[in-house]
Amino acid sequence: MDPFLSKYSEDLMPVFVGDPPALAGFEMDAQIGFIEDFMKAGAAEFKLLYFVCAFNFKLLASLMKLKPWSRLDMSDKQAVANKLFGSRNPLLRSVVVLCGLPLYISYYRRHDVQVPLGFDAKALKDEASLRSVSRDRSLPSK
Amino acid sequence: MIFNLDDIKGDVKRSADVVIIGSGAGGAPLAKELSGEGYSVILVEEGAKFDREKDFNLNPTQSFMRMYRDAGQTLTLGVPFVLLPLGKTLGGTTTINSGTALRMLRPILKKWHTFHGLSDITEEELNLLYAHLEEYLFVQRADPEVAGPVARTFLAGAQKLGLSSGWLPRNAKECEGYGTCVFGCPSGAKQSMDVSFIPDAVKNGTDVYTCCRAAKITTKGGKATGMTGFFVDPFTGKKTGHKIELEARVVVLSGGAIYTPFFLLRQGGLANSSGQVGRNLEIHPCVQVVSLMDEPMNPPKGIPQSSYVDEFKDEGVTLEGGTVPPEIHALALTGAGNKHAALMSSYPNMGLFGAMISDTDSWGRVVNLPRSGYSPTMLYMLKGEDVRKAKLSTLLMSEIWFAAGARKVFTPFAGHYEISSPRDMKALEQSKVRAADIYAMSAYHPVGTCRMGGDPESSVVKHTCETWDVEDLYICDGSALPTSAGVNPQLTIMAISMRCAGFIDDRLSNKK
Ligand SMILES: Cc1cc2nc3c(=O)[nH]c(=O)nc-3n(C[C@H](O)[C@H](O)[C@H](O)COP(=O)(O)OP(=O)(O)OC[C@H]3O[C@@H](n4cnc5c(N)ncnc54)[C@H](O)[C@@H]3O)c2cc1C
Ligand code: SF4
Repeated sequence: MDPFLSKYSEDLMPVFVGDPPALAGFEMDAQIGFIEDFMKAGAAEFKLLYFVCAFNFKLLASLMKLKPWSRLDMSDKQAVANKLFGSRNPLLRSVVVLCGLPLYISYYRRHDVQVPLGFDAKALKDEASLRSVSRDRSLPSK
Repeated sequence: MIFNLDDIKGDVKRSADVVIIGSGAGGAPLAKELSGEGYSVILVEEGAKFDREKDFNLNPTQSFMRMYRDAGQTLTLGVPFVLLPLGKTLGGTTTINSGTALRMLRPILKKWHTFHGLSDITEEELNLLYAHLEEYLFVQRADPEVAGPVARTFLAGAQKLGLSSGWLPRNAKECEGYGTCVFGCPSGAKQSMDVSFIPDAVKNGTDVYTCCRAAKITTKGGKATGMTGFFVDPFTGKKTGHKIELEARVVVLSGGAIYTPFFLLRQGGLANSSGQVGRNLEIHPCVQVVSLMDEPMNPPKGIPQSSYVDEFKDEGVTLEGGTVPPEIHALALTGAGNKHAALMSSYPNMGLFGAMISDTDSWGRVVNLPRSGYSPTMLYMLKGEDVRKAKLSTLLMSEIWFAAGARKVFTPFAGHYEISSPRDMKALEQSKVRAADIYAMSAYHPVGTCRMGGDPESSVVKHTCETWDVEDLYICDGSALPTSAGVNPQLTIMAISMRCAGFIDDRLSNKK
């Protein structure tokens, strides 16, 4: 696993995803493993952009709160992220949009997170597997 | 026969009457029609073939990584960034599209006649082709029972306001509303190219090579004579070492509105004496509004895109929607941390609807800049009139959600993300918004980058889809449409493809 990717993602996961009420906790290794695969499969520049944005986010948080990143508490970090999301400056906003994208996906794609939200992909897949729509015009599909 | 990567044990060297590059809405109908006329046809597709049973698992991220170009991470460069996903799989983008099957707007055809010299494409002819396609692809209106609460609630809101609205026609047979059309339909209900035109083309004798990227069109004496390319691992894009060399009497490029111009530009601007290859990119950009309701909306079960509001279609705004699974929904909500988490916990009570904006003064272009991998750069700037339309459609969707009983709505405009009162609405209405204020935009309908027209100085292909510059080279996909169709384009691309098949048939039969 890429150590930079691990470190940044581990630091930023709780800042972005927060602590969703009544949903499962993070599975850091599995989620970061997914992020790595997602970046490998994607546009070559995406990983680089993620690093640049993650670095800049930490820098901006420290500057805005006048404290080093390691001494900022979670609510400060989340407040900075929310402030940047609300910014009318598209560059500042891109920093958090690009950081958040893989983090949100890595968490909300999990089956154990989706089921309590009402989306049970496995059950729907089982249901769909019982059907096979044919292109036959004369007979109904099974 | 369909050749997958496992079937390729060495270099491939063959000849055929017709070689088609790309198996989407442009390429697949051509393959079926021409093979049905008895011509030998080879279809080449860079993506892999996926299987309903094994692969369409209602798993968005898996499908992004396997069936979408660059795992879905395809963004335009400009203000604002626009997510512009493209399919890369057998069936092209139709395998991962929403299945809306609409005829193009009549005033736009008139525009093609008047401003693009395309009066050869008559309304009567198109209507015949549409009717044939609708029959072949089982097009029917979405069933309100299956559509799901999001669509039903939104339409109820629109009806309360007296807005023109209804159920969308879709190319889906016996759809059960599994809610994941854009990740591959798990029941085979959606009649994308991989379950309709391609199997029929194969029955007619077409050979299909998947995981095969065309790299060059060969020409001799100003005529297309075939293509060369190589086999690639569909997940890493790396070459496997095996090559393909095809000779043909006619070559058709159907790589889609982004990859077709990219292909030509990479080949030193083939067919580009007009300088129009890659220009005139229109994308039909979208904004969305999320609602928070008291009653459960049960997303994403239902038909993701099943209803519409077209009251403002003459202004270039159509609303269509809309549910998405949690990992995509999470991206539509702005904010971070516990604020975002609290919103996501209301996912079961949320609805989402989108608006498509017909490009008027925005500017877009596909260019070939040095990038790693096989990726074009898409430039797009959303401009004045289209920003106004984005705001208008956001206000309209918000009003409809409120009429339907929403507690709050979430818009993509910075400074106005959350609207929970008439005062908030007024503030958005009165604000002077800029393109840069839009937090998230996406687009699904790129067209125009190798446009057809009556004048070789300002277009790339003739009304027949043959290029002005290279005889026997045809371009038949979204890139050939001169402008946005005003609606979702797949049916129009297929109709143009069926029409093009007729001209290729004429050409080949005259050559015999
Ligand atoms: C998420 C989503 C939802 C959509 N929903 C709808 C909808 O509901 N209704 C509608 O009308 N439209 C919809 N669309 C748009 C519609 O699917 C496309 O407009 C249409 O499929 C475009 O057809 P095409 O032939 O131009 O390109 P595509 O269908 O994209 O096909 C091009 C194919 O060419 C292949 N290719 C490219 N270059 C090469 C090469 N060098 N060698 C070999 N192969 C190559 C690509 O891999 C691809 O498979 C949607 C699009 C998206 C992304
Ligand atoms: S809603 Fe489900 S069954 Fe219907 S076309 Fe989409 S994926 Fe297929």
